[in-house]
Amino acid sequence: MTPTVNLSPGARRALLLAPALIFLAVFFVMPLVDNSARSFIGEGGFTLSRYTDFLTDSFYLGVIAETVILSAAVTLISVLIAYPVAYVLVRKAGRFSGLMIFFLIAPLLTSIIMRTFGWQVLFARRGLVNQWLVTDLGLLDAPLRWLNTPGLAIAALVHVLVPFAVLSIASVLQGVDRRLEEGALMLGASRIRTFFEVTLPLTVDGIGTGAILVFMIANGSFVTLVLLGGGFQTLPLLIYQQFNTTRDFALASTMSTILLVIALACLWLQLRLLRRQGV
Amino acid sequence: MTDTSSTLTLTAIRKTFGPLTAVDSLDLSVEPGALVSLLGPSGCGKTTTLRMVAGFDSPDSGQITIGGDDMTRLPPNKRGLGMVFQSYSLFPHRTVGENIAFGLRMSGASKQVQADEVKRMLDMVHLSGREDMYPAQLSGGQQQRVALARALVVNPRVLLLDEPLGALDKGLRESMQFEIREMQQRLGITALLVTHDQEEAMSMSDQIAVMHGGRILQLGAPNDIYDRPETAFVATFLGNANLFDGRVQDGLLMTDAGALSLPARPAGDTATLSVRPERVVLGEDAAALPQGLRGRITAASFRGAYAAYHVTLDGSGTEIIAYRQADTALGQTSLGVGAEVAVGWPVEHGVLVTGPAPKE
Repeated sequence: MTPTVNLSPGARRALLLAPALIFLAVFFVMPLVDNSARSFIGEGGFTLSRYTDFLTDSFYLGVIAETVILSAAVTLISVLIAYPVAYVLVRKAGRFSGLMIFFLIAPLLTSIIMRTFGWQVLFARRGLVNQWLVTDLGLLDAPLRWLNTPGLAIAALVHVLVPFAVLSIASVLQGVDRRLEEGALMLGASRIRTFFEVTLPLTVDGIGTGAILVFMIANGSFVTLVLLGGGFQTLPLLIYQQFNTTRDFALASTMSTILLVIALACLWLQLRLLRRQGV
Repeated sequence: MTDTSSTLTLTAIRKTFGPLTAVDSLDLSVEPGALVSLLGPSGCGKTTTLRMVAGFDSPDSGQITIGGDDMTRLPPNKRGLGMVFQSYSLFPHRTVGENIAFGLRMSGASKQVQADEVKRMLDMVHLSGREDMYPAQLSGGQQQRVALARALVVNPRVLLLDEPLGALDKGLRESMQFEIREMQQRLGITALLVTHDQEEAMSMSDQIAVMHGGRILQLGAPNDIYDRPETAFVATFLGNANLFDGRVQDGLLMTDAGALSLPARPAGDTATLSVRPERVVLGEDAAALPQGLRGRITAASFRGAYAAYHVTLDGSGTEIIAYRQADTALGQTSLGVGAEVAVGWPVEHGVLVTGPAPKE
C-alpha cells in the first residue's frame, strides 16, 4: 500500500496550482516587472522623465499614432473579411463546417516566421506572383515591386489575424436563435433588412471581441513588419531597434511599458464586453 | 368581420427531406375566422406543414393559397402572415414597444401610428405601460403576450401559432389558451395552430387535424374527433382508449377478453373496438350490461375530479382502464385495489376503429 497524505482541499488546490504559478512568476511576471522597473529608474533613483520626454516628443507620438492606425486598419479589414466567412461557417457550411474550421486554424499551426517567409517567396521580385503575371499570363511587361509596400504588409497581417476574428464572430453568431430572424421575416422585413435589424446587432459582441483581439495582436506584431517592411515605423520595431542597435535599454523599456499599457487597455475593454454579454 | 380573403387552403402538399417524406399529399382548408389545429406526435409533419405555410420551407409539390392568392413560392416577408413561436422569439435587443412596432416600421408606418398601435395592442394584452421594458424583464407569460401583440399588430391575413404555449407551466398555459382563443375569435382572425398537446388542441380549436406520418388521419371538430375516432391511432393519441382487436362472428367481436357486442356492422371480418375509459362502467351498474365481464382492480389512482382504475379481466388477463366520477362521500374512493367487479359499457359507447392498436 502506498502511504496516503491527507491534505485539506485548500492545500491540495495550492499544491496543484504551484507549478503553473511558479512558471508564470519566473518567466512572465518577473521579466515584466524588471523591464518596466528599468524605465522608472534614472541616475538619481525613481524618475518619470523618460515618460514625459517620450510622450511630448512629436516623433515618438507619431510612432504611437502610426502603430495604432496600422492596427486599426488591419482590424477593420480583418473584421470585414471575417464576418462573411463566419456567416458561411455557421449558417451555410453544414457538414463542411469542420473542414472549414480546420482550414482556418491550420495556418496557426505554422510558425508566423515561416508564413511571413512564404509571403516573401511569393511576392519577391522574381517570385511566383510576378512570374505568373509577367511570364505565364503576360499581363505585365515588367515585374512589380511588392515587398516593402504598405499594402503587402497589411495583407500579410490580415492573413495572420483573420482566423481570430472569424472564430470570435462565429461563436457569437452560433448563439443567435434563427427564430429571431424568422420572426423578422414574418413581420415583413427583407433578408437584408433582417440582417441589419436583427443579426448584426445581436453579433456586435462577437465583432467587438474579435476586433479587440486582432487589434491587440496587430499592435504588438513585429516579425511581419521586419520581414516584409512596408515603410511602417511602429512601436515594436522601434523597441527592437533600441535594444539591438542603439542599445538604449531604458528607452526601450519605456516604450514596451507604453505598449503594454495599450494592450492592458484593450484587455480591459474586452473584459467589459464579455461581462456585458454575461448579463 | 370575416370574409373569404383569408381562407387558407393547402392542396396536395408534399415535402421530402432526402429519403424522408415529411408531408405527403396533404389537403387542408381553414375557413375565415376559424382556428384549425395540426395535432400529432413529434415527426408527424405538423411543424413542416406550418413552416411551408409561413414560407420558410417550400413544398416539393402542391399549392398553398390564401384568399385565392397563390403563396406557394412567395418569400415569408411577402405573405402578410403573423406568427407566434414557442420560444417567443422577441428581439432581445429591443424594447417591448420596439418589438411590437417592428412590423409596422417594416411597412413604413409613421412614428405616430406606431406609437398609437403599440399602446392599443399593449392594452389588448393587458401589458399597458410596459413599452420601455426589455423582453428579458418580463415573465414567460408576459413575453408570450408581447409576441402575440407583435404578430397581430400588422393585421395578418392568417395567424400561425407554433406550439405557442409549450414553454409555459400548466396553470398559465390554460389561462393563455382561453386568452388566445378569445382574442382570435373577437378579431375574427384565421389561425393555424401546431401542437402536440391534445388538451390544447381540444380547448382552442374549431377543427383538429390529427397528423401521423406526414398525413392527416382525421379532420373534425374536437368533440367529433374525440367521440368518433376513425383509427386506433387517433383514439389513443387523443385521450385514452381501451382497444379490443378481434374477428367478427355472428355480429359479435371475438376478442381475447371475450365476445363483445358491436355498435355497428364492421366492413371486414376483423375489427377493432375502442372504448373510452370514462365510458367503462364498474361494479353493480355493469352487471346488466351485455359484455358480462368481470375483473379485479389492480391499481387505483385518485385524480381529483375522477378516479382512474386498472382492471385485469378474469380469464383473459386483459388490462382495462376505467375512469369513475366521484360519487361517494368527500374523502373516499368507492372501489379499492383488489376488489372484484363487474365490467361493461353501453354498446353504443363503443366505437369501431381501423388499424391495429399502436404499440406504446
